[in-house]
Amino acid sequence: MTYFDVQPPIGKTWPAIAAGAALLFAGALSVTGLNLFGVQFGFGFIPLLVLAIWPRRANGILSIVLVFFAGLFTDWAAGGIIGQSALLFVLIWGVLRPELRSSPFSPINMIVIWLATCGLAVVVLSVSGVFVMGIAPDLTAMARQMILASCLLPVLMLLRKVISMRLTDYDDWG
Amino acid sequence: MRGREHPNGGLTRIALLIALLMSSVIVSLQRGAVAQKSSSLEMVSQETVAPLVSVLAVPLGGIEDFFEGIGDRFSAYDDNQKLHDEISVLRERQAHYDSLANKVARYEAILGVDTETGIPLRKIAARAIGETDGPFVRSLLLNVGTRDDVRVGNPVMSTQGLVGHVINAGPNTSRVLRISDLNSRIAIASADSGATAILAGDNSALPKLAFINDQDKWTLGDRVITSGDDGALPRGLLVGELVRDKAGNLRVKLSSLSERLDWVWVSPYQKIKPPSETDIEAEVETEAGVSVEAVDAP
Repeated sequence: MTYFDVQPPIGKTWPAIAAGAALLFAGALSVTGLNLFGVQFGFGFIPLLVLAIWPRRANGILSIVLVFFAGLFTDWAAGGIIGQSALLFVLIWGVLRPELRSSPFSPINMIVIWLATCGLAVVVLSVSGVFVMGIAPDLTAMARQMILASCLLPVLMLLRKVISMRLTDYDDWG
Repeated sequence: MRGREHPNGGLTRIALLIALLMSSVIVSLQRGAVAQKSSSLEMVSQETVAPLVSVLAVPLGGIEDFFEGIGDRFSAYDDNQKLHDEISVLRERQAHYDSLANKVARYEAILGVDTETGIPLRKIAARAIGETDGPFVRSLLLNVGTRDDVRVGNPVMSTQGLVGHVINAGPNTSRVLRISDLNSRIAIASADSGATAILAGDNSALPKLAFINDQDKWTLGDRVITSGDDGALPRGLLVGELVRDKAGNLRVKLSSLSERLDWVWVSPYQKIKPPSETDIEAEVETEAGVSVEAVDAP
């Protein structure tokens, strides 16, 4: 399957490794958060930002392996339900399928994709959490995590653009 | 460098399917598992993440202080007024407590009462470098571990009261299960009436009371402390204040949730171990030996 009948690019190894490293870093961040005005804003949704802007030139199979293990690492580090983040990350990657995109996202599309990612995350976390623990999730905690990650989305996109343009051919990342 | 596989190839889809299946199986295996069990992989991940989170804690703390400062400036005048009022009340109470303390000390001396509460005097200062406040988990990551004499089960306190207990201790880090977490169950008592109950965390800011003894003795506003009945935590650690929710259930407003957690301390309290069968048999044998000797003696 291709978008607009344009052949997508062939996967490369190093964008996948760079994105995987970023996902691991974001997973490590999940154990912490910001306490603003007495309310805790966790960093639990930051890895999803990395998934939403995953480079389309990244090798598909390598990406899946890295996404899966980054998910497990996130669960171990954060002391959560083991496998929950792995399932979520792989599912989101599978829905977005960045390697099938023929062109980079426009800012508007990026926002739509991000909101869809958040929606999918809420559903997957809720269903898997209820299945394992038998209780309803704390939706307000998820909403706070989502708000914080949404605020960081433009910053991360800008950072990614600057890095990719300075260091490499931007088309490798788009 | 070009990859071997074309993105539209079936291999990616197969790999995706395998990864999804594996994740689903791992999640399924967690069903009904006790959350307090921790694997070595979890400990290794925790230890790996700790240095990074420690470094990040500095700028994050700066951001938090900045926003906290803004809020404090807005409420400075009101806070000052409240503090003036509180100081005048506290001065009166201080005088009252001093006379009571003298009286109690005299009574204790007369009766020979053991006033040991079991709370260790030694405290291990720790920094809360990570706080997981997710949809299902409430835990903290501390920058102290077994090298600092932290052990699984040790209570963790802040200046406001009990935060939780250690569930996983690596060499340099430890994970704390907060009392608001779903898996947390601690024995509590009313400091005012002495009535006891179990505080059951439900991932909300107001954990509920379960197995309530002497329901009539609980009154709203009671200061809630650990009862020590479970043998897991010492008696007398401040937990919070008794409140009632909209449904009429008794709950506890946790005192440790009223502030941002930065520095905490771990009490190296050891759980009270029940006597084993061998200990009881040895004691019985010793007593029997003493009785026989007493009979044999002229």
